[in-house]
Amino acid sequence: MTAASAILDRLRLSGRILRMALVAVWAYRLRSCFVILGVGLGIASLTVIVAAIDGAERKAYEIVDTFGPDAIFVIGGDIHNRAVGQRFDTLTYADVEALRQSLPGAYLVVPMRSEHNLPVRFERNKIQVSAIVGATEGYAQVWNWPLAEGRDFTAEDIAQGAKICLIGDTPAQELFGDDSPLGQTIFIDKLPVQIVGRLIYRGTPTGGGTPVDERIILPLSTLTQRFNLDRKYFRALRVKVSSTENMAFQVENLRSLLRHRHGLEEGEPDNFSLLTADEILKFLSMFKGGLLVFLGLTATVAVLVGGFVLANLFYLSVDERKAEIGLKKALGARNGAVLAQFLAEAVILTLLGALLGMTLGMGLAKLLEKLEILEILFSWKVFTWSTLSAVAIGILFGLRPARRAAAMVPIEVLKG
Amino acid sequence: MTAGDTVIRLADIGKSFSQGGAPVEVLKGISLDIAVGEFIALLGTSGSGKSTLMHILGLLDRPSAGSYLLNGQDVAQLADDHLSELRNRMIGFIFQSFYLIPYVSARENVMLPGLYGHTAGRRLRARAEELLALVGLADRMDFKPSQLSGGQQQRVAIARALVNDPQVLLADEPTGQLDSKTSVEILELLSDINRQGRTVILVTHDQQTAAYAKRRIVLDDGRIRNS
Repeated sequence: MTAASAILDRLRLSGRILRMALVAVWAYRLRSCFVILGVGLGIASLTVIVAAIDGAERKAYEIVDTFGPDAIFVIGGDIHNRAVGQRFDTLTYADVEALRQSLPGAYLVVPMRSEHNLPVRFERNKIQVSAIVGATEGYAQVWNWPLAEGRDFTAEDIAQGAKICLIGDTPAQELFGDDSPLGQTIFIDKLPVQIVGRLIYRGTPTGGGTPVDERIILPLSTLTQRFNLDRKYFRALRVKVSSTENMAFQVENLRSLLRHRHGLEEGEPDNFSLLTADEILKFLSMFKGGLLVFLGLTATVAVLVGGFVLANLFYLSVDERKAEIGLKKALGARNGAVLAQFLAEAVILTLLGALLGMTLGMGLAKLLEKLEILEILFSWKVFTWSTLSAVAIGILFGLRPARRAAAMVPIEVLKG
Repeated sequence: MTAGDTVIRLADIGKSFSQGGAPVEVLKGISLDIAVGEFIALLGTSGSGKSTLMHILGLLDRPSAGSYLLNGQDVAQLADDHLSELRNRMIGFIFQSFYLIPYVSARENVMLPGLYGHTAGRRLRARAEELLALVGLADRMDFKPSQLSGGQQQRVAIARALVNDPQVLLADEPTGQLDSKTSVEILELLSDINRQGRTVILVTHDQQTAAYAKRRIVLDDGRIRNS
């Protein structure tokens, strides 16, 4: 026999064994159903979990994207080691000026502070707005927050303490419905201001708190003057840098500049906090890591249960089919051929289980998304993981029963 | 190979099992030549070693001692895979309980040994159908075993034993589960197959069955009894 014909022989035998396995899968339909169900339920949970993890990841990137990879957020006070009685009013206008003038790469520095829960009125329509934010020119730009219509604040607006505002999507809807709010005058408490811009709907809450879309933004000067706030400190500030290269270096620059200005000695903790996209991502991936471990464990258990179901039913099946196995061996099937047939049966069933599981899982995931319980993303990962784990389960849990079948001695199982 | 050549030569075959630590000798020096085209009855009561000898003849078991030449090749201590291949090619098995695969048709049952061999699918199928016609089941090829009578099932098994054109047919109590009329038909069929030149070894405990064979070998307590 030549090498080529030996290979052809092998291929032909493999095809024949595969066909025998398919016939047996059909012949033992009840066993097949249980294995497919057992594995399918495991794969379904795996599918939901992979989709949920992918969804969480997409969400994380959305949040980071909204935050802006080229932005640094500075908050007064140290959120990492919040000492009791620590002051939050540590950022001053002098700091802002210093940053504007001497932080390399920073092209936009916007300080902010806010008043909360003020009544806002337009004609007879009265609402409560959770956050009135004071900011300087470039507010929309510094938050990567496009305007649906109108314009951003300019330096003159700030200098003059102009009575104008940008309005968030929620109050705009509440006060004006589908009409354009541009040019209209609303009363914030008792202060009349003209709307010059409407911010687009953002949706994504940047980590708890009140929804960002409920805001109304005033020039910082207007807010401090009209609402009698002190004029030295503000709460937070956004810095935009022109290049995201060396972000860590730029953050360090900012930190040491602020530390120097606040007169902090070496070893003293920061009295302000810096937040960057990287940091948010780190936090989110930590969160995702926890999710991954928990859900991964759950999925593993679910899939393993499917595997045990398979192993058990296959042991039973091998017992039930002793005569068939012994006969095939007597008629010249090698041990390998018997092993291959049972493994093929197992893998065919787990693959069918994977198919069922993916269908079930995707349906379930869609449902969870509709109910707004989970953020879901289907990717090739779902398919790959499901298929791979199905094959792995088939081989892993099918191997022992298949080996047992292959090791059967014909004369012991063929009596008489 | 032509009639008269030796197809099987057993020389001083011994077989012992250990039972509860003590070795039990089941075969005690069996020497036997079987020529091509013979029809042999292997007779013996239970416990005579008849089954063990049949297992060794059928390459389902290895002797503990002695040599077994099958077609001139010493097969006494070959590895499992090699024995599988030889069984597939050289020996056709017929069992008392037929041992058909319940969930496939008669045709596919007959094809089974061929699936592990080297015959192309189409030829194998044609051969199976030809053999089913030969055993009188041309109109039952698509029947499942459960749809066939005992005699018909044994005919399927005989067709299956012939599908790889083996040198030796090994029939282990082939009529043990059949009524007397059907038994006669099956034994006639085996005689026909033998007349066409194939070596047939018939293992039985029944004198009447053995009467169909041309030569009788009686096993008694692990030895061939001279008769």
